[in-house]
Amino acid sequence: MKIKEGFILREVSGSFIVVAVGEGTKTFNGMIQLNETGAFLWKLLESGATEEQMAEQMMKEYAVEKQVALCDVKEFIGSLKEANLIV
Amino acid sequence: MVSKYKIADVVFSAQFKYAYTRKICTSYLYDGEEQPEFFIEITEQDLVEEGKKAGDFPLPYLESLAVYRKFLGKLLDYNGTVFHSSALAVDDNAYLFTAPSGTGKSTHARLWREYLGDKVIMVNDDKPVIRLVDEDFFVYGTPWNGKHGLDTNCRVKIKAVCKLERGEQNAIQKLSKEQMLPTILSQTLRPQNASDFDKLLPLVSALLDKTDLYLLKCNTDIESAKLSYSVMSKGVKNEN
Repeated sequence: MKIKEGFILREVSGSFIVVAVGEGTKTFNGMIQLNETGAFLWKLLESGATEEQMAEQMMKEYAVEKQVALCDVKEFIGSLKEANLIV
Repeated sequence: MVSKYKIADVVFSAQFKYAYTRKICTSYLYDGEEQPEFFIEITEQDLVEEGKKAGDFPLPYLESLAVYRKFLGKLLDYNGTVFHSSALAVDDNAYLFTAPSGTGKSTHARLWREYLGDKVIMVNDDKPVIRLVDEDFFVYGTPWNGKHGLDTNCRVKIKAVCKLERGEQNAIQKLSKEQMLPTILSQTLRPQNASDFDKLLPLVSALLDKTDLYLLKCNTDIESAKLSYSVMSKGVKNEN
């Protein structure tokens, strides 16, 4: 599971956005706004983390229970799948 | 024949194949002393590529679009980009009305002209250039000016950016930077690579920081122009 080629995360005026470049522009020309947690998870996913690892990092960063973290991670990945950003 | 042009305070030289492109650029011809920053020429291949992007248009029109695309590519290095909007100025303050095509940007700009008369300068009715110069954001006229051909070769400091939506009743509200961000990004020319994106995004950020941001829901009655002018010309500090 990883993010498709051609999508980049950037911060603009305190907002996090994902946009397509290069290959990505052939299938996607909108933008996705992420909140801070979303951006945090995106970066982990980019670095090749598994769901389990992402949840662990989330527990550390946001001091939440494992169940909550795992649930958030699954929801985040679900929304990326829906947007067709994951292969 | 190579000619010099000056658009958005950037001097460049260009050689156009078609009379149409030369004609629309006439008011931007430059005969001053400044040396051109770059040279623009459109090849056959550029026209083919432009046709794929823009659609099946006559070659002269495609050339004019391709020129704009090339110019905008260069302009990123001068802190400038296009902002798809109807831009007008009153008392040295520029107001940019933006919305998807067909919403009524030009119509609303026309209502301002009906309401305020000669006080209104139409900077550009469709594709003005915006440029960050030192600490200020300016809007400039360009040869690409929409179906009504409304354009003035000038530069005016931007006071406000307003997103337009159609509505039964007229209402105007402030938008946060976060709310306005998707609109701003969708109305510029989307860079195809990450390095150009990283030139564009600081501009988007500065535009959000330095101008008042509004959402206007409006009908086509002149009251809508009275409302938007009275609120936007006063100006209010941005939220967040």
